[in-house]
Amino acid sequence: MSSDSQASEGEVYSLNMGPQHPSMHGVLRLLLDLRGEEVIRAKPVIGYSHRAHEKMAENRNTLQFLPNTSRVDYLSGMIYNLGYCQAIEKLLGIDVPERAIYIRVIVNELNRIASHLLWFGTFLLDLGGITPFLYSFDDREEILDILDQVTGSRLTYCYGRFGGVTWDVDETFLTRATAFLARIRERLHMYKQLVTDNVILRERCTGVGVVSEALAKSYGVTGPSLRASGVAYDVRKAEPYGGYDRFDFEVPVLHEGDTMARFHIRIREIEESCKIIEQAIEAIPEGEILPKKMPKRFKLPEGEYYFAVESARGHFGMYIVGDGSDIPVKLKLRTPSFSNLSAMPETLAGTMLADTIAIVGSIDVVMPEIDR
Amino acid sequence: MPQTLTQLLDGSVLAMPIAAGLIMGMLTVNVLMLVWAERKVSAWIQMRMGPTEVGPFGLLQTLADMLKLISKQLITPSNVDKPLYHLAPLLAFAPVVAAVALFPFSESTILVQNDYGLLFVFAFGGIAVIAIFMAGWGSNNKYALLGAIRSVAQNISYEVPLILSALSVVLVVNAMGPTLSSGDGVVAINGLDLSHIVMTQDQQGIWFVVLQPIAAIIYFISALAETNRAPFDIPEAESELVAGFHTEYSGMRFSLFFFAEYTNMLIVSMLAVVLFFGGWDGPVLPGPAWFFLKSYAVIFVMMWVRWTFPRLRFDQLMTFCWKVLIPLSILNLLATAFVIAVL
Amino acid sequence: MGYFGNVFGGFGSLLSGMSVTLRKFSQTVIRRKAVTMQYPKELPELAPAYRSAIKLIRFEESNSHDCVACKACERICPSYCIKLSGGKVEGIKKKRVAEFEMDFALCSLCGLCLDVCPTDTLEYSKVYEEAGYNRDWRVDLLAEFRDYEEEFVAKQRVIEEKAAAEKKAKAEAAKKAKEAKKKAEADEKADNDSKEELS
Repeated sequence: MSSDSQASEGEVYSLNMGPQHPSMHGVLRLLLDLRGEEVIRAKPVIGYSHRAHEKMAENRNTLQFLPNTSRVDYLSGMIYNLGYCQAIEKLLGIDVPERAIYIRVIVNELNRIASHLLWFGTFLLDLGGITPFLYSFDDREEILDILDQVTGSRLTYCYGRFGGVTWDVDETFLTRATAFLARIRERLHMYKQLVTDNVILRERCTGVGVVSEALAKSYGVTGPSLRASGVAYDVRKAEPYGGYDRFDFEVPVLHEGDTMARFHIRIREIEESCKIIEQAIEAIPEGEILPKKMPKRFKLPEGEYYFAVESARGHFGMYIVGDGSDIPVKLKLRTPSFSNLSAMPETLAGTMLADTIAIVGSIDVVMPEIDR
Repeated sequence: MPQTLTQLLDGSVLAMPIAAGLIMGMLTVNVLMLVWAERKVSAWIQMRMGPTEVGPFGLLQTLADMLKLISKQLITPSNVDKPLYHLAPLLAFAPVVAAVALFPFSESTILVQNDYGLLFVFAFGGIAVIAIFMAGWGSNNKYALLGAIRSVAQNISYEVPLILSALSVVLVVNAMGPTLSSGDGVVAINGLDLSHIVMTQDQQGIWFVVLQPIAAIIYFISALAETNRAPFDIPEAESELVAGFHTEYSGMRFSLFFFAEYTNMLIVSMLAVVLFFGGWDGPVLPGPAWFFLKSYAVIFVMMWVRWTFPRLRFDQLMTFCWKVLIPLSILNLLATAFVIAVL
Repeated sequence: MGYFGNVFGGFGSLLSGMSVTLRKFSQTVIRRKAVTMQYPKELPELAPAYRSAIKLIRFEESNSHDCVACKACERICPSYCIKLSGGKVEGIKKKRVAEFEMDFALCSLCGLCLDVCPTDTLEYSKVYEEAGYNRDWRVDLLAEFRDYEEEFVAKQRVIEEKAAAEKKAKAEAAKKAKEAKKKAEADEKADNDSKEELS
């Protein structure tokens, strides 16, 4: 930008926010043009944690890519890990035992709640509320402990296998999960009193950072951010996978499209996830967790395939090109955070500096997922 | 019995150094305790433990932290405005120390007796804004500058309701009678004298928080904003401005800002105690004990508020001040004046 | 809600938030219900599925591992952190691993090596506190087995000899049985023949 155009806009200066900044989750860098406290232009700069997951997929066989999946988005690693397994299973026609389907749904939804709780905490932290952050981490810690019981890890799970899961759940796991549901419902009530009803939060969020339905659709925004803009799109309902069609749950939709709507959608999604887990625990059958007969090598048939799951952040898709060997020619990961973030420059223009933090916080980006 | 320590040491060349030493010692211990208390209160609210390792109940943790800060190298970033940058921490630090000297800890424990103590406390509070702006401007950092601009706007705005709410108390004190019986006999009442405000409450047997509840609330809210405490910690909003005006400060310079911030907390709560909670007034325990107990209770509420709420946005903060607090405090002042005139 | 409604409603919501934090505060102070785990002083209970560096299982009957150096784990490992070699051992038929090293700095604890192991002799160790002081953080999985290797070979030889002897005996028995059967058949046939002849 030349100095002439700068002068014509008045006292405009640029602020380089990130990649090291307390509220840029991970390593997002925002180049802001400011007039006083007003944001005139915002330009997200990405690529600070690129780890070449897609390239790695082209250099190893399908099974060896398993540990990579949960590291794409470390906050909902389980959903990505199991989503990849489901993609390969569908491609090769492997039947998953009933018990494994239910276990997968339970751990998936627990992971979704954990991811939303972390978002809740960090969002409040962005707004300056430190105590809700620690309360929600306390709850999240409980989920991580429960998942640790069966997966042996806390964040980067490698729990799924083609055809099932690695470790069977026991009675302790199910009782702990049930107890957690009771706990989180009680805590949600407390969060409402402490946070949702709070006049400062309502003032900070209502009407701030409106993403209209048209804008959301044009950028391919998905997940809670899209549902807050009035589109009832959830992969779990639109193209049911992994047995989600057996459960009774709603897709919460709000039409405001502002930060408050995104806030409410995620809180309600936690409730919906609780409902799914409850039904799954009720109906979980006895049986095997891995099919008896499995191919020794998972050879991808020739052709192009696409499979999508609903991650905590939105539509996570895998585009796989196979050539008959067990090493993919191309494995493209369509990650929701990238599209969600790309709608930001238009949303941020014209807001206050403090709103920028709130809006970027409310769309819940995970930078390693964008960079992959 | 001499009324003040200055009278006790009257004429001695040692008077001022001793008074200054007393204040400094008291304030250092106070800040160390307050930081420890802040960490413990926040920990307990968040169901954590807080410092436990250094000393009993972690009491010496802050002392260790302070020693670390003192021993750190002083870093001056390149291209800063050196005079402003170096002077700012001292300027933030000095007025708060001076303001503490004016407070009557009991009827006979006053370091500096001043007939217009209330005005002086507010005046010293005003100087802090200059220090913050100097720090922000001199740091050559955009975050620091934004923090400084916010701070100036905020402090100047919130001084209005702060002083207006204190003024309604002054009106009440003056209305309580033309004279007041004190240790020196009967003197003319002076609503701006801090000890007179306390003595009036003592003798009337009523705390002004009962007579002036709205003023007390307005005072408390404005005091939070004056001391840059959450939910009004906008000048140093860490999630937006990294550390606000003291982003570029480290080591001892940073700890001077820190010291000033916590001492400011003590000053506004001591002033709250004087204005609304009867100062040293209380049974059994000696005056200063009551005075500090009450001040720490007010500080506890400030901490409690800080660890509960998210932060306001800057424009909302100003709206809140100009559209809610100032009209309310003016209304309260007018109502007070009206009631006094009618009675 | 008018102006005053807004002001007082907002104030009420602030008070209700403060009541929540005060409740938590008193819970922590009075009931000593802090959630912190004082880590070095107390350790967490490790989950049954807990994952740390892989190790070889010591089987009771043989007092040693059962690795046959098939290298399936080395091939499947996505981080190429397993290095092993081995093969034929003097005196016994069974193949044994001679070197089994793993670079824990590279391991991502995915557990694929456990899945592919044909003899199921790999498992996760349950070490909680681990730290590497080099970039090269090699773990020798055979360290605890070296001293027992001779013993194992001796035992295995006995087992194998016994097995071979049994097999031999069995084979001989089978042979005998077969011969007996043959003989019996032949006898029967002869019988039948003679009967036929008779008829």
